[in-house]
Amino acid sequence: MFEEPYRWMEAVSTRHNYVQEKLKMGQPVIAVPYNEGLLIFGFAPQPGKIFEIYDRIALGGVGHPADVERLRMNLLDMAHLEGFNRSAQDVTSARLLQFGIAPALKQNFEEIQRAPYIIRMLLVELTNEGHPNFFRMNYDGHWETFKNGTAIAGEEKVMDWLQKEIQKQPFATYPLDQALQQACKLWDESRKLESDDEAKKDIPETLQEAFDQWYLEGAVLTEKSARKAIYRPLSNDEIERLKSSTV
Amino acid sequence: MKFQSEPNTFAGEFFELLENSGYRWPAKIEGVTKQNGFTVPQGTTVLAFHFKGGVLVAGDRRATAGNSIMYELCDKVIPIDDYTLMSIAGVPATAFEMARVLSHNYEYYRRSQLQSMSTEGKIRALSKLLKENVGMAVQGLGVVSPIFATYDHALKKSRIHFYDMLGADFQIRTHTATGSGSQIIRGILEHEDLWGEKPLAERTREQAMTLAIRLLQTAALFDSATGQARPEDDIYPTLATLTEEGYRFLDDNETAKIFKTSTERS
Repeated sequence: MFEEPYRWMEAVSTRHNYVQEKLKMGQPVIAVPYNEGLLIFGFAPQPGKIFEIYDRIALGGVGHPADVERLRMNLLDMAHLEGFNRSAQDVTSARLLQFGIAPALKQNFEEIQRAPYIIRMLLVELTNEGHPNFFRMNYDGHWETFKNGTAIAGEEKVMDWLQKEIQKQPFATYPLDQALQQACKLWDESRKLESDDEAKKDIPETLQEAFDQWYLEGAVLTEKSARKAIYRPLSNDEIERLKSSTV
Repeated sequence: MKFQSEPNTFAGEFFELLENSGYRWPAKIEGVTKQNGFTVPQGTTVLAFHFKGGVLVAGDRRATAGNSIMYELCDKVIPIDDYTLMSIAGVPATAFEMARVLSHNYEYYRRSQLQSMSTEGKIRALSKLLKENVGMAVQGLGVVSPIFATYDHALKKSRIHFYDMLGADFQIRTHTATGSGSQIIRGILEHEDLWGEKPLAERTREQAMTLAIRLLQTAALFDSATGQARPEDDIYPTLATLTEEGYRFLDDNETAKIFKTSTERS
């Protein structure tokens, strides 16, 4: 059936629709710089959106939890083997994406007999020179890089809006509390753009409800860390301060 | 990169990942029964003991090969993760490799399983490496005698373990030392603990540092494979503490100050 190019293109197009439909429920993950590093955070009904990948690299994921997990494990394997065989300095987000995950994801997506990955992911990194790098990757292996922060979400229009709004603010000059506060406001406002959907009726309508019913997951990669691994989950104090300043 | 479709059965095991990638721990070399005339760098004094705030781990800086001094800046106290230090005596190539494997093993486990490896698991991981290394050790090519210090979050206390060449581990309640100069200072440590001003475990951080420096200087007086400090060249012993907040190495300035006061004659 797929020996004709048109049939193959049609099948790929159908896969795009299928994955995008499945991703719709995904809640945004936002990553922005702040004056001592970078911040990545998001709300979710279940924990499992933000992860540490290597000493200076973190991952944010939207999509099917099992697919996020499989890609996370692949990234962990690649990063740790590279770090062991060469050096921690050779483990970079760009290499993990460009030479590791992206080609494999693209191939997987276009092999239409195989189940596609239902995922969007963020890979963020604070380089050895202290520069934040932000990468966004789609389920079909397409990836983009950003200097001043980025976001992923289930719906493309939400993602695009967040991207524009992030660029408008000088996040890199904010202290952590302010960056977290502003990013949280963007997260809240972005949800007004989401399509009405029967399946979304259980989603919290206010930030207060999000804090009460969901998990806020967040972490920083900070130069202030004295350790080799600079990933640090947000502390309860930081989350409480955010809650009292935004709700 | 491969996309796994089977359940992940090795759950955070970095050794397995390494082996699957083609890595092999050096096996015994068939047909070789002894060193065949070449000498590998070794010789050391490293020590660890409990003091009031945690554990102190210290080591000299010299690496030797037979009668030759090969290096005077060897770091023999190696951080494995935020709460674990390993000090090494023996063949540096094997010991450094063990430290790298262990470090990646702990971090890989923590990141993949979303929890830290248990203290027992950490201790056993080093046993496994030593066991894998027995072939090289009996040939005299890869003998490693490590001291392992870690902070146990479950028990809320620091632990020191000593290992034999085959991988058996022994928990140490007071003090231990290993390397060619260790016999010289083990008696002093025991004497200090039993009849000194106060037991080692009740000494302050400064008192512990002072004792460690004096012990390493003493070992170097009697053991040519243990390096004396050389303040004129900014070469000092390595000193690190391990507490509930993790490990901390003394920087050169701090070490220089403590060294000066510790080695003044009364």
